[in-house]
Amino acid sequence: MSFLEFVEGPLFLVASAIFLLGVVWRVGGIILIGRKKDISPPKGSAAMGFLKGNLRHFIPRGIFAKRTALHLIAGYGFHLALLVLVLFAAPHIAFIQDRLVNVNLPEMPRWGFILTAEISFAGLIMLWVRRISDPVMRLISDWDDHIGSWLTFLVMLTGCLALQESHGFLRAQHMLVVDVWLIYFPFSRLMHAFTFFLSRGNSGATYGRKGINL
Amino acid sequence: MNNLLRMVAVLLVLLMGVTASQAQSVRPPGNAVNLDDGIEPGPPNTLGDLSDSDFWRNYRGGDPNDPQQIIGPRPDGVVLTTTGQHWRALRENYIRKYAGWAPLIVIGILAVFYVLIGPMRIKSGRSGKTLSRFNLTQRVSHWFMAAVFILLGISGLIILLGRPLIAPFLGKEVNSIMTSAAMQGHNLFGPLFIVALVWMFIKFVRGNFFQWVDLKWIFKLGGFFGGHVSSHEFNFGEKSWFWMVTIVGTVISVTGVLLLFPWLVEDLRILQLSTILHGLGAVGLISVLFGHIYVGTIGMEGSLDSMLKGEVDEHWAKEHHDLWYEKVTGKSASETAKEEEPS
Amino acid sequence: MTANSEIAVEKFLEHTDAEAASFFEACVHCGECAEACQFYLSTGDPKYTPTYKLRPMERAYKRDKAPFSGLKKALGLAPSPVTEEELREWEPLVYDSCNMCARCTLVCPMGIDIAGTIRKMREGYAAAGFVPEGLQRSAEFVKKTGSPMGVTAKALKAQIKHQEDAVGIKIEIDKKGADYMAIFSSMEIMGYPEVLGAYAKLFKRAGLTWTISSVAYEATNVGVQIGSAPMAKEILQRVVDAAEALEVKHVISPECGHAYGAIRWAGPNMMGRQFKFEVVHIIELLDQLRREGKIPVGKKDTRRMTLHDPCQIIRRGGLLKEPRSLLNDSCANFTEMKGAGITNFCCGGGGGVSANPRAEELKTAAFSRKVEQLNGVQDLEAVVVPCGNCRAVFEDGLDEYDLDLEIIGLSELVAETLAEEDETGA
Ligand code: HEM
Ligand code: SF4
Ligand code: SF4
Repeated sequence: MSFLEFVEGPLFLVASAIFLLGVVWRVGGIILIGRKKDISPPKGSAAMGFLKGNLRHFIPRGIFAKRTALHLIAGYGFHLALLVLVLFAAPHIAFIQDRLVNVNLPEMPRWGFILTAEISFAGLIMLWVRRISDPVMRLISDWDDHIGSWLTFLVMLTGCLALQESHGFLRAQHMLVVDVWLIYFPFSRLMHAFTFFLSRGNSGATYGRKGINL
Repeated sequence: MNNLLRMVAVLLVLLMGVTASQAQSVRPPGNAVNLDDGIEPGPPNTLGDLSDSDFWRNYRGGDPNDPQQIIGPRPDGVVLTTTGQHWRALRENYIRKYAGWAPLIVIGILAVFYVLIGPMRIKSGRSGKTLSRFNLTQRVSHWFMAAVFILLGISGLIILLGRPLIAPFLGKEVNSIMTSAAMQGHNLFGPLFIVALVWMFIKFVRGNFFQWVDLKWIFKLGGFFGGHVSSHEFNFGEKSWFWMVTIVGTVISVTGVLLLFPWLVEDLRILQLSTILHGLGAVGLISVLFGHIYVGTIGMEGSLDSMLKGEVDEHWAKEHHDLWYEKVTGKSASETAKEEEPS
Repeated sequence: MTANSEIAVEKFLEHTDAEAASFFEACVHCGECAEACQFYLSTGDPKYTPTYKLRPMERAYKRDKAPFSGLKKALGLAPSPVTEEELREWEPLVYDSCNMCARCTLVCPMGIDIAGTIRKMREGYAAAGFVPEGLQRSAEFVKKTGSPMGVTAKALKAQIKHQEDAVGIKIEIDKKGADYMAIFSSMEIMGYPEVLGAYAKLFKRAGLTWTISSVAYEATNVGVQIGSAPMAKEILQRVVDAAEALEVKHVISPECGHAYGAIRWAGPNMMGRQFKFEVVHIIELLDQLRREGKIPVGKKDTRRMTLHDPCQIIRRGGLLKEPRSLLNDSCANFTEMKGAGITNFCCGGGGGVSANPRAEELKTAAFSRKVEQLNGVQDLEAVVVPCGNCRAVFEDGLDEYDLDLEIIGLSELVAETLAEEDETGA
């Protein structure tokens, strides 16, 4: 078995399994901690609050948006572009169809692929340099933040380095970092991709009961 | 614009003349790339009396040192452009061979300076009080530029120096992989550099125009060898760096775009010129960058604060940017310094 | 780890329910929340970043309760135990620099409720005895007298008498079977007793029967401010017992932010049962009476006014529209300040900050945000502050910043602009 076959085959399977089980375990673990039932007479619906809280926090509030514009642009740019990149880039679609499920995802043209990659890189770099160049960010950041950013950056970078698709080694290197990323994910703050709906939902529910949506 | 190109061309040709004469007297070193690789000898005596060289000279239509033929409108009847040879010679013999030395020399000078003269400390110590110097957007634009520049610098150097530096030691296969990777990375990050450049220019141009005190800075050699130098928000050194980044960065950007989208121009010679300018500019910036990094970090106590926290110590401001200090605080830099001394 | 910090950590863990856990898990250290917190905004000190204030409790959770904490501990990757030193270092952050305004939740991409979690964190601090002296003293005082300002029943009765004389309406004390029982904050009783007269006038007009209990008139709950559930429960118990003994149908929560939250939202949960009465906020009640036409407007107040949004009533209480509709009715010249409503700034003294002398300077600094907002309204003459605690903070603050503005309570304003009996033909 070549190194490429190994990172795309068994290692990828193991990493994906750890990823999936880890995510389920962690999310489940948080939910299972449980919440005391609130018995104060409600004024609004907690369930609706859960939902609204989740949706409301996608949209920045006007009064803060200006102060934090740079962050919003970088944050949204990075996340959306990355999502598009993962799902609609030709090599990824080929991989998904080949190894995971036979879905028919629309394929971006090459220029679209490159453009989203640039947006994603720009966003991630801005987010990280913001983390190191601001007293608040320096105070609250920890190793996990940096490792998460850098691992994600490396996933993207190795992917970009393999763009010529002419060297198995570069492809293998990309896959290796992807595998490491998958394994690191459930134990780290990268989990925010899943926990966000819990936190938004929980405070949405708390406030929703009181008849207000924060 | 055309005139400018022409001037550059003349310069280039002069350079090439030197190249040609030296190429004969210098023996290639053992590991040098053989320039004649793959170049077929011309056809044998096909024109009877004319020598081969005469034949080629005619074929390409005249005097190789005539700038008209290199960049001007193509004379009728010219079948072969030979500027590619000159381009190749320049790139292989000079840029590839010496480019790596420039940053190393700068680093060497800095090291010697550091050992002999040492870093500039905040003479009166830190005051503990700070002034805000750069806002978050300025800081992020700076580091965004720095990050993109470093990524481009590393990938660019691999592309440029892979053959002489990687291939002989790690083998051609490794060099091929690394160059493929570097090329893809370089192409992808290139456009981000343009974004970074424009952004940074907008965020920093205020305060970076020439002011008369800058002359004093030049005469006092920036205070690096002692003595107090006055300056506004940015001193002459910083301004030079700013304009160098702006101007050279623009050249790199424009030439880079041409290399990325070669169909934008018809004349191949413009692309040849572009690679040369692109490489020289980049190597120049990379070299000076080490000086910038030195002053920004270990070379000058307290400088990095401005880019990591946005705030600088008041004493730092007084010592390095007294006129700026006076402007933002409304206090006199020298008087407050005296006032504070006894305490 | 000393005994005290063990208690604190134990309480931290106990109070980290799935909600708090989801907050600790989801925080991406993005720093947005700092942009919303007036303590950070007015000092620029990064330690006032909201999420940072939760650090010890988050660490305790991540060390001992979070999923994978066992695995991480085994691998030596879990955070180190929370030390007493750390707890003490954080104590001012937890008590002096969070007014539990929940403004940070608005800006947080994860919707994290820092305010609610600070409340839970204070449980650990209170249980372990790490409480600012000022708050501690006022707590002891409450234990003895039932009121943080030591308002005795005798003092209350004297104030009631004054107000009866002023408005010429009798105020019934301890009247069994009344529809409504009103409670007040000591700040109101001692500082702004006109509110008693206003109630009398308004309720008489609306035809409500109401009363004040001579044993449970105090709405302020210092237990909630300190973060001590047992103490909060004890204080609340008095009110609940009195109300249920008098068999009233409703208890009116006063113009006091946290008192409302304490009895309306936290109350039943603390007591572990639903009450036999309903809790209404006075603003809610007045708005309802106004809509029902029972307290019509007469001559409007023509001063240029704006409204301060007390966090616990508006953002955390859910009464966003009611004060506005009352004000729009009662004033001819009502203007919102910039950022009004759900994104408004706290007065700076909520969450026990104003009851904590050590936090004085910080509180004043935080008020600078309010000053900015007030200065943003042109030709402002008065500001309506529907919370007794905010009102006291405003008085100090306006004084400190040399601002000449009248501060009015909402009930008083509604009472003053009430139509004369004959105006409506009644
Ligand atoms: C990676 C290492 C780097 C470090 C440690 C660094 C450090 C600094 C510091 C401390 C300053 C502020 C000086 C002051 O307070 O006046 C600064 C300014 C600046 N830097 Fe950098 N920098 C780095 C890389 C770069 C790169 C790669 C570029 C561009 C290619 C760059 C361009 C600039 C410019 C244009 C300014 C503004 C100065 C002016 O306008 O005069 N820096 N840097
Ligand atoms: S609740 Fe208010 S005071 Fe407390 S941290 Fe959040 S914004 Fe700051
Ligand atoms: S805004 Fe929310 S997610 Fe961001 S640092 Fe603050 S609490 Fe954490």
